[in-house]
Order: sequence, then structure tokens, then C-alpha cells
Amino acid sequence: MTKQHPAWSPYDNNGGTCVAIAGADYCVTAADTRMSTGYSILSRDYSKIIKLADKCVMASSGFQADVKALQKLLAARHLIYQHQHNKQMSCPAMGQLLSNTLYYKRFFPYYSFNVLGGLDNEGKGCVYTYDAVGSYERVGYSSQGSGSTLIMPFLDNQLKSPSPLLLPAQDAVTPLSEAEAVDLVKTCFASATERDIYTGDKLEIVVLNKDGIHREYMELRKD
Amino acid sequence: MLLRPLSWVQLQLGVVLAVEKRINSPLLEPSSVEKIKEIDEHIGCAMSGLIADARTLVEHARVETQNHRFSYGEPMTVESTTQALCDLVLRFGEGDEESMSRPFGVSLLIAGSDENGPSLYYTDPSGTFWQCNAKAIGSGSEGADSSLQEQYNKDLTLQEAETIALSILKQVMEEKATPNNVHIARVAPTYHLYTPSEVEAVINRPMSIRRKSSLKILPWLQRCFFSSLQCKCTSLFVC
Repeated sequence: MTKQHPAWSPYDNNGGTCVAIAGADYCVTAADTRMSTGYSILSRDYSKIIKLADKCVMASSGFQADVKALQKLLAARHLIYQHQHNKQMSCPAMGQLLSNTLYYKRFFPYYSFNVLGGLDNEGKGCVYTYDAVGSYERVGYSSQGSGSTLIMPFLDNQLKSPSPLLLPAQDAVTPLSEAEAVDLVKTCFASATERDIYTGDKLEIVVLNKDGIHREYMELRKD
Repeated sequence: MLLRPLSWVQLQLGVVLAVEKRINSPLLEPSSVEKIKEIDEHIGCAMSGLIADARTLVEHARVETQNHRFSYGEPMTVESTTQALCDLVLRFGEGDEESMSRPFGVSLLIAGSDENGPSLYYTDPSGTFWQCNAKAIGSGSEGADSSLQEQYNKDLTLQEAETIALSILKQVMEEKATPNNVHIARVAPTYHLYTPSEVEAVINRPMSIRRKSSLKILPWLQRCFFSSLQCKCTSLFVC
């Protein structure tokens, strides 16, 4: 009888949770900094959020190697865009580019779950949420990654967004102030950390508004 | 064939392109002569020189602008589109079989409207481009250009721009302007090629003396020229 080898997979899941909330003139993007594999923690301080353009950040969970490759690709595409068009890419443009980039690997996908947060051309907050193969939607708030099943219903309860089927179309921005949104993000991560073993250690929050970008951190449970 | 495109830009309102098509024979079907073409919803283009070459360029620009929409979900800026066109113009002689073995013998006026407002670009066969307020190219362009310099001011309305473009075109035309031999298009902020009846309305509009600075819209006027320009370009490339 031939020996059975354990199935090898090109993918791993390094866990992690991402959240983004869009407001009238700001966008809050947050993610924990834990990187795990199985029951092991690989790092307690690994950032999942990357700034792609002046008004656009991406938070990604899933397989770290694929996320890294995706980030490198988008950074290069943005540099080329700047050379060709003499301007920063807008968040909606980056949103479309990310969707195309993911879909081009439809049959060997980047194992990454992304939320894109930023400001649109009018300065309004915008959040784009994705699946691994590039299906995307502009929303008022979203969560992706291992803790998303815990956080998403909580956000739905706190920030019910207008139905996308309504006519005329309504802006999917939350009514909260920037400080309230940051507080809400801290609360939902503290709760998710209690139940999800892949979320914890530290919370990184990136706030984009008309004054620019700033980051803040909050400690989370380390067990 | 000689062309006399003439065009005009208005900063907040839009851009007007006007061309004379010379109908050499009464047997020629006027609607088959196209010298103003749409590149994208927000960009139009008037041409002077070898029209067949312009078709290649316009086709290239259409592909570029659509690729940009596909990749980024936004319209391409007028400057980037012009740059993409000039890249192709400069690429002649490269590669083998497929590529162009000689320069593109055509000048273009590229009129468009994007996030920075309306703008007008002028490209020549060397692949250089300039942004203009008003520009004439083609056979009557020297005279038309100086008239444009006199008559252009940044406060023109779109209507005034139409009137001025047409009146300058008339000055350099040998025949009487009719809806058959004049084409007008505007980009304000989307491309629209005037129907023969719309052109007729502009032709019949009385030419009022324009009040300077009474209206707060910023127009520009540009025009192009061609026969002399074309000669220059030809010798340029022969060298």
C-alpha cells in the first residue's frame, strides 16, 4: 500500500480582524496586530493596515504572504499611476483597482480579506469591502477577517445602514462623530478579543479626515 | 484635403470645436466626411492633416480611455489621454511588421472636460503637445490664430465661443458656411456633435459685439492650422 502524505496547502490562515467605518467627513480603519497560525502566535505586533495613497488605506487579514504580495503590487501600481497621471489615486479608483487585481487571480486567489477605507473625491468617508476574488461594494461600515462574524452584527445593530435598494440612493455614511466612531471601534475589538483566539494583543486605528491621517493604538488582551 | 479646425475653450463651461470640411465635389456625401470625433464621453477631437492617420490615433485614444475606466472606474484626464496619444505618435518606426513605418501626418485638437475643468490640447506630428486657451490648425490657421488672439477672452460664454469660432472659421473659408461644410462640437462637460440644424442655428445667429468682462465664465479659444503646419512637419521629418 502506498504511504498517504498529509495534503499540502499553498495557503495558511494567519487570522486577524479588520474594521472600517465611514463618516460624513472622516474614515476610521482599524485592525488588531496579532499574527497567528493554528494555536501559535507568530507576532503580537504585526500591522495589517497599509497606506496606499494620501486618502486611502487598506486593512487586510487572511494569509500574510498573500497580503504582503498584494500590498507590494498595489504600491507599485500606485507609483506608476502617479507617474502617468501626476496625481494621487483616489479611494474609489483604488477600490476598482483592488477588485480587478483580486479577480485576475480568480482561480488561484490571494487568500486575503480586505477593507479599504478613505475619502472620496468630495471628501466624504468611504469604505469598500471585498471577498477574496474581488467582489466588492461601497458601504458605510464593514468588518473582515476572523472576528468579523462577532463584530459585523454588532455594527449592524449600532449603525443600521440604509438599504442599497432604496431609490433615490442614500449615502451609506454613519451619523456618528469621529470620536464616537473611534470609541465604537475600540468597544467592538475589546468584545471580539474575548471570544476570537485570532484577535488580540493590540488594536491599531487609522483615522483619515480633511486634516490628514493619524494613527492611534489601544492594548487588547494578550491571551 | 485641407482642414480648418478651430477651437475654443471655456474654463467653467466647456470647449467648442469648429471645423470646415471642404466638399470638393457636389457628388460627395457630406456626412461621410468626419473631422470631429468622440474619444470618450468627456473628450472630443478635431483633426487636420492625414485623416486616415487620425483614425488610428483616435482608435488608440478610445482604447486607452476605456482601459482607464476599466482599471480605475473613473474617466481618464484630458492631459493623460493626450499624453497617451503622443506616446503612440512618437513610437512610429519601432517594432516590426505591425507598427507604423512613418510618422502620423496629422495634428489634433483635443478638447475635454475633467476634474480640473475644461481644457484644450494641441498635438503635432512630432508627438509634442501644448495646452491652449484657443488654437487654430489647418490651412487657414495663421489668420485664424491671430483673430483668436484678438477675440478670445476668458469671460466668454459658451454661446459667444460658438459664435466667435464660427465667425473666424468663416473668415478663412473660401466658400459660404453651411451646415454641410461646417462641423461644430462642444464638450460641456460631455461631448456633443451638433446636428445640421444646430449648426444652422449658430450660422444664423446675429454676430453681436461681445461685451468684455460682463459675464463671469472663463472661455478659451484655440485654433489650428494646417497646410503650412503640415509642410513644416513634413520637412521636419524628412530631415
